[in-house]
Amino acid sequence: MKFFTAASIIALSVAAALPPAAVAADKPVVGLVMKSLANDFFKNMLEGAEAHEKKRGDYELKAIGMQNETDFESQLNGVENFITQGVDAIVIAPADSRAMVTPLKKAMDAGITVVNFDVSLDEQAKKDAGIDLAFVGPDNRGGAKMVGEALAKSLGAGGKVVILEGNPGADNAAQRKLGFEDAIAEGKLDLLDSRTAHWETEEANSVFSTMLTAHPDIQGVMAANDSMAIGVIKALDVAGRSDIKVVGFDNVPAVAPLVKDGKLLATVDQFGSQMAADAIDKALEVVAGGPKLEGWVKTNIELVTKDNVK
Amino acid sequence: MMQALDKTTLNAPTEATVSGMSMKLLLRDAGIGIALLLLIVFFSLSTEHFLTSNNISNILTQITINLILAIGMTFVILIGGIDLSVGSMLAFCAVVAGTVLTIPELSVFQAVGLATLAAIGTGVVCGFLNGWISAFWGLPSFIVTLGMLNIARGAALQVTDARTIYSFPPSFNAFGSQMVVGVPVVFLIALVLVAVAWFVLSKTVFGRLLYGIGNNEEAVRLAGHSLMFYKVAAFTIAGALVGIAAMIYMARLNIASPIIGIGFELNAIAAVIIGGTSLNGGRGTVVGTLLGACIIGVLANGLILFGLSDFMRQMITGVVIILAVIIDKYRERITAS
Amino acid sequence: MTHTDSGVAHQAIAPRLPILDLHDVRKRFGGTVALNGVTLSVAPGEVHGLIGENGAGKSTLIKVLCGIVKPDSGAISLAGEAYEPHTPREAKARGLQVVHQEFNLLPFLSVAENIFIEHLPRNLFGVVRRNDMNARARAALDAIGLKDIDVRWPVERLGIAHRQLVEVARALMTDSRVLILDEPTATLTSRETDRLFAIINDLRSRGVSVIFVSHHLDEIFRICDRVTVLRNGETVFSRRIGETSHDELVRGMVGQQLQREMASGAISSAGEGTALSLVNFRHAQSPHAEGISLDLHKGEILGIAGLVGSGRTELLRAIFAAEQPLSGTLLRDGKPATFRSPREAIQAGIGFVTEDRKEEGLILAMPIAANVTLASLSSISRVGLLDRKMENTMTQQFGADLKLKYGGPSRHAATLSGGNQQKVVLAKWLARNPQILLLDEPTRGVDVGAKAEIYALIRRLAEKGLALLVVSSELPELMTLCDRIMVMSQHRIVGEVARADFSEEKILTYAYHGERRQTGH
Repeated sequence: MKFFTAASIIALSVAAALPPAAVAADKPVVGLVMKSLANDFFKNMLEGAEAHEKKRGDYELKAIGMQNETDFESQLNGVENFITQGVDAIVIAPADSRAMVTPLKKAMDAGITVVNFDVSLDEQAKKDAGIDLAFVGPDNRGGAKMVGEALAKSLGAGGKVVILEGNPGADNAAQRKLGFEDAIAEGKLDLLDSRTAHWETEEANSVFSTMLTAHPDIQGVMAANDSMAIGVIKALDVAGRSDIKVVGFDNVPAVAPLVKDGKLLATVDQFGSQMAADAIDKALEVVAGGPKLEGWVKTNIELVTKDNVK
Repeated sequence: MMQALDKTTLNAPTEATVSGMSMKLLLRDAGIGIALLLLIVFFSLSTEHFLTSNNISNILTQITINLILAIGMTFVILIGGIDLSVGSMLAFCAVVAGTVLTIPELSVFQAVGLATLAAIGTGVVCGFLNGWISAFWGLPSFIVTLGMLNIARGAALQVTDARTIYSFPPSFNAFGSQMVVGVPVVFLIALVLVAVAWFVLSKTVFGRLLYGIGNNEEAVRLAGHSLMFYKVAAFTIAGALVGIAAMIYMARLNIASPIIGIGFELNAIAAVIIGGTSLNGGRGTVVGTLLGACIIGVLANGLILFGLSDFMRQMITGVVIILAVIIDKYRERITAS
Repeated sequence: MTHTDSGVAHQAIAPRLPILDLHDVRKRFGGTVALNGVTLSVAPGEVHGLIGENGAGKSTLIKVLCGIVKPDSGAISLAGEAYEPHTPREAKARGLQVVHQEFNLLPFLSVAENIFIEHLPRNLFGVVRRNDMNARARAALDAIGLKDIDVRWPVERLGIAHRQLVEVARALMTDSRVLILDEPTATLTSRETDRLFAIINDLRSRGVSVIFVSHHLDEIFRICDRVTVLRNGETVFSRRIGETSHDELVRGMVGQQLQREMASGAISSAGEGTALSLVNFRHAQSPHAEGISLDLHKGEILGIAGLVGSGRTELLRAIFAAEQPLSGTLLRDGKPATFRSPREAIQAGIGFVTEDRKEEGLILAMPIAANVTLASLSSISRVGLLDRKMENTMTQQFGADLKLKYGGPSRHAATLSGGNQQKVVLAKWLARNPQILLLDEPTRGVDVGAKAEIYALIRRLAEKGLALLVVSSELPELMTLCDRIMVMSQHRIVGEVARADFSEEKILTYAYHGERRQTGH
């Protein structure tokens, strides 16, 4: 498993070298295009997909990843290689919501079933390319609203909160912020400040410590991911403020003990490890002759608290 | 050029110019401290909470890691090099140490001891490679450390399989937030490192030659000194300090992740440059670096308290870096005249 | 005195209206006099040689003519009108072009682009008309006989000689009335020199005047109509080429009265034992196998004379292992020795005062004390810790010995005058108690007072038994200091003169004839 990245690169180059005929005809072949495997979230997702392949046993999985979050070159090449190999379905978490539209249109024109998950392709770009492609993915805004509501319920109306945002410009960061704001509006919370900590633990720790100085009356913190929540909780430990409640997002393994201790009030599980598997299931349904997917097929999200943490 | 020649040939120092010169020197070295003082006064007056003991210990905690990285960077920049790999090395050192720290068979004492050795050892190896490769093949350290930036990051991901390491011994976690009379212990460690670095740079033959190499490599070589040794040593020291910074990171935040430290090298370089060390090498002090790190930390903290948006904050930090270099140019002229 | 001389000469020789006329042009840089009354006139269609030793003022004069340096006084006229260019561009507009010694070509651009860099042919939209440009560049190169070069090649593909000719082609693109060639043959082989001379002859027949700067006297005699000799920034004389001789030009360049007064009679007798011997010793750039062989005795001051580029500096650097020697044997006190680095040379008791004080000798931005102790840090430190007290004591001691004028040990070396900087470099080596000291241009950029002090110091060191090897471009300096002078040319020893036989003519004759022998003229 350790050498997965290397292995997948080798697999990719081998696959690219094989003529299309080499793909076995009896089982449908699904090409999975992932984002950066340097990220826990996608790594789990890939492992989930591999487990899923073993469990179902009625299809063949070919997966590729990228070097880092912005390396859409390798995604592009991956899609083109899959087209050449004549896979039955491509399941993709696009690195860029616009750049990937054109190669995917090419795949659809070649008769390949394409399922888009994780991040939705840009609506306008899809329209311009004249394709209609369903999106299978979580509702970041809904999830953020859900965890925000948990905080609101715990604080009651008038509770004073701050938000720690993800990378400015990232779509999921924007959606999560909107979700937090929805919860704040509905729960009649008082938003004192909202700043980015670029998804990072250390920066969240620094930024939040300073926010706490500026607003000692903070009662709750909404962090757009768990890494930042960890930094916030550490800052609270240092400041000796056990009265402030924190919510996060993603349910990474590192927060499980914090949820158990009550240091993290709640987080959201998007079931990342199942997301790819779910998308593959949907793709296989279409390949087997099922109806075409339409619109936004929302995947399961779940609020994780002390009561249901594993 | 001719004018410069005139000045040196015509110069006959008198007592008056000597005292004028020391005044200028004082101004030059104090300039950065005065800038820091002005910032502190400004934020104290304009924000309510800046000058509280809690906030000050916050700032000190926040600058610790950058300060330790910047100390190492000072050594490298003094010899005219640059180290772009410290952020990635921080992650690599942290995950290696984190792996050791979470070995269940070890006692807390053993685990922490071994982890510290592992962190520093990892840093030393990476730093040594940076220095040796660039000195042996005469390559610009910019390129070599750019390579190391990728190697160390990849190694960190490889070692951990891209996972975050956590659940360190509780006493280790607690250490990261210890205070001694309101001063974070981790910052005290950084201060001790500043003092050691200051001593090495200003009181030893080794330090003297680092400055010499940064100013005029050829003169040092022709005076019979091995450039290789000193260049490799500077990078190795930087690596060792990254290892220490990695331990402090882990103690502070109680995690070790392969994706920490992205862009930290740029903050460290900024602290060194704001502190008055010349990017061309040969001029600067570690005390300046301390002040530079303080300025960055005070700005980051003060501007949040001031209520400025993230984006404005980023812009102002950029402006300060450029200003520092411009001021540095003027200081160079003052010393030259 | 010389002014009236040359004035008379020029009236007699140039009956036609001169195209370029300089009268009593002077220029000082602070305390340094660069031009001290240059008078010179060039007739249309004349090839005028300009010669003089290093520092005679040739470079400054060229800079004045092409608008880089503004003269302090004097009159210059070009084609009868006052000529005071402020920029090279202005000089070009007036019809005066310079082909510099240093190359001004852009290595990654094509030959054609380089030739047309100042006015690339463009179409209406500002796009370079490449075909047009290439064709015109082709014609320009053909005109000077460079048929074997493709104008589309990047300049970096060309050898140095071809680059020099491309420079000439570029200069010829604009119609100039006066073309100045600054040491154009330094990098050319004899075949290419012939080609260049053909071009010059062609220019002459078209009425273009050429000022030809060279220290190859043979070339002056081959191509020039007249020649002007500069010394110490002054015109010594101008002569028709048929009315002068090789020897007269050499005498003109070095001056009649030798500055014997600097020599203080008593010179140490060459001591007992050989400190350093070289046998077929070759430095990395040495073009031939025999290398250099010489013996340096204890207590002896051995001078090395020769023109710039004769391999003097390279020899010292190879002895000191600043650059690795190629082959040959070095004997230290009679025992074979191989130094792999300056460190080992220093450990063998050798010190090296380099030619370029600022780049190689001193750390200007560091304290004087740090410079004095740079080569002997172990003697002012204990377990790697500097002892400032010892360092300052050592600095003050050498400061007093060498009569160093300085503000204090902690002042930067940059605050010192040239002479005092050189004393700091000397102190750095003396602090190590060397047995052999290599000195490359020991008094370059040093004022007269400090010069005399440095001479006295060098003599004192020889009396103490040190062996000194001195390279200098100033012959009076070598003749003042040395027990023996060896003359180098083209990386060979071409002559040796004992003190009793010292004369500038003798030495220069070796230097120039040696060169003539090597180049086969």
